[in-house]
Amino acid sequence: MPVQLVEGNNAVIIGAMYAGCDCFFGYPITPASEILHAASRYFPLVGRKFVQAESEEAAINMVYGAASAGHRVLAASSGPGMSLKQEGITYLAGAELPCVIVDINRAGPGLGNIGPEQSDYNQVVKGGGHGCYQNIVLAPNSVQEMCDLTRKAFDLAFKYRNPAVILADGVLGHMVEPLTYPEDAIEHYIDTSWAVAGNKQTMGNLITSIFLNFDELERHNLKLQKKYATVRKNEVAYEGYRLEDARIVLVSYGISSRISKSAVDAARKEGIPAGMFRPISLYPFPEQEIRSLADRGCRFISVEMSNGMLADDVRMASGCKDVALVFRLGGNLIQMSDILKKIREVS
Amino acid sequence: MRSLSAPAKNTWCPGCGNFAILSAIKPALNALEEEGLDLDRVVVVSGIGCHAKIADYLNVNSFYSIHGRVLPVATGIKLANPDLTVIGFAGDGDCYAEGLDHLIFAAKRNVDITLIVHNNRVYGLTTGQYTPTSPYGFKGRSTPGGTVERPLNPLEIVLSSGGSFLGRGYSHGIELLKTLFRQAILHKGFAFLDVLQVCATFYNMYNYYNQRVYELKDHDASSYSAALKKIREWDYNSEAQIALGLFYQRVLPTYEQSFSHLSPLVSPEREEAIRSTLESYI
Repeated sequence: MPVQLVEGNNAVIIGAMYAGCDCFFGYPITPASEILHAASRYFPLVGRKFVQAESEEAAINMVYGAASAGHRVLAASSGPGMSLKQEGITYLAGAELPCVIVDINRAGPGLGNIGPEQSDYNQVVKGGGHGCYQNIVLAPNSVQEMCDLTRKAFDLAFKYRNPAVILADGVLGHMVEPLTYPEDAIEHYIDTSWAVAGNKQTMGNLITSIFLNFDELERHNLKLQKKYATVRKNEVAYEGYRLEDARIVLVSYGISSRISKSAVDAARKEGIPAGMFRPISLYPFPEQEIRSLADRGCRFISVEMSNGMLADDVRMASGCKDVALVFRLGGNLIQMSDILKKIREVS
Repeated sequence: MRSLSAPAKNTWCPGCGNFAILSAIKPALNALEEEGLDLDRVVVVSGIGCHAKIADYLNVNSFYSIHGRVLPVATGIKLANPDLTVIGFAGDGDCYAEGLDHLIFAAKRNVDITLIVHNNRVYGLTTGQYTPTSPYGFKGRSTPGGTVERPLNPLEIVLSSGGSFLGRGYSHGIELLKTLFRQAILHKGFAFLDVLQVCATFYNMYNYYNQRVYELKDHDASSYSAALKKIREWDYNSEAQIALGLFYQRVLPTYEQSFSHLSPLVSPEREEAIRSTLESYI
């Protein structure tokens, strides 16, 4: 397979094209605009639709429309744009429509700046809009995964008829690494018999999130919860690093996990039995795996570019009250020395 | 006379048309100050985009707001405190795309605020995508093959939405900008100025504009039909001459006037009013 140096944001579009994505709707926003640019360059060449919308809200509602017609739709944005998209995302989830949304997380709140952060965690992982719904959330930590997980997100979105979000950040979006292209494009059968194609066959299909009858809406909600339970059972993905004999476990995802990995190696050199657990699926969160590390007596340090959002989930999953936290905000990356210092403190 | 320069370091690109807008608003405000305007009662609101940094560069009260939301923020400020002079600065991506609905409603309501749009016809801060006023075929970062959309004419939109003051300036003409800014701030009602502002980095239109712009003369700014004719002369796309100046002005009641009978009550009258209002529901 060809290997090429590719920027993270471009890798998203490569993954999407191999996944059969045929519509992209976006709006310019730093640090996600390169996804828009790449889609505008490549999509028309292969007969796929690209639109730069008039607003973030317009873009997500174009997603809503095209997804309901059974198309494989991609949108990309960053924090401020993700906030504007939340209305559309809850409708997509409520109407059980598949789509993939990429969030190149920048520093907030408000306008913040265009540096990297992981502070959209709660908004993306816990839902973000109104109502009891979940997004499937995947967190890449390399250019390769920006491509591969985008592909996988399409698979999961269609498998469960649910929005899937790629949660990355400004560093992953802009870093350049070798990318091994996917072996083949997704050609397997994609069931879109539920869609509304505007023809006789799909006349009877109904895509909606409105259920005026209270009991009917409750049934719809319970059906969604059942689906989320299946997702939690089947789709957990994670990476363990030097966990076999680890007593101190760094929990970290995305770009922070790259720094955590180095910190593990440095701690090991000092004789401290450290390891790293990297959730690749943030929803479903790898609860059982973290629980079994806790049962083994491991102590946890959450390493994240947010104010303990990940640590909260580690606390809940592990049952440990004293999950330590190493974090930076404002667009700053975590320093390996800060992680190492915390490892020494905890050990 | 107060210096309107703020200490923030200016980060606009060399040759940016925003400098002309900044250089024109300062003397316009200083001239009004000489005539009695209290500069401490002036509030500048900007959105998000290159234009928005003007909030940092002007030594008056300012509100650096949200992408597309200059007008709702400015409307809120004006309604809360009608004695203030509120001047909004917005970009074309900001005001004609993400926030277009607010432009229509500001004109419809005739809020007494001024809106100056830095219309460079490109998203500059995100490095060069097409905007609602980019011409057909514009090749930008997201339109490598050229945009297939025709531009909209913002002046025509504001006119048909009920706008009471409409003008157009050009960043290569500071004297006219000064005059227009002054007229707009003095206008009682929603004053809308579309300023053709050149982005030297991503869409340099100086030559194009220099060959086509002219100032309106013997134009009857009180005539809707004369304004519409002039506004339609150039549709932001064709090869026509580009008129600059005041297209239209009329006197209409302002939005905040409709709230003027609501004088704020002070205690104990306020408590009595609340009590009697609630009791009327029993």
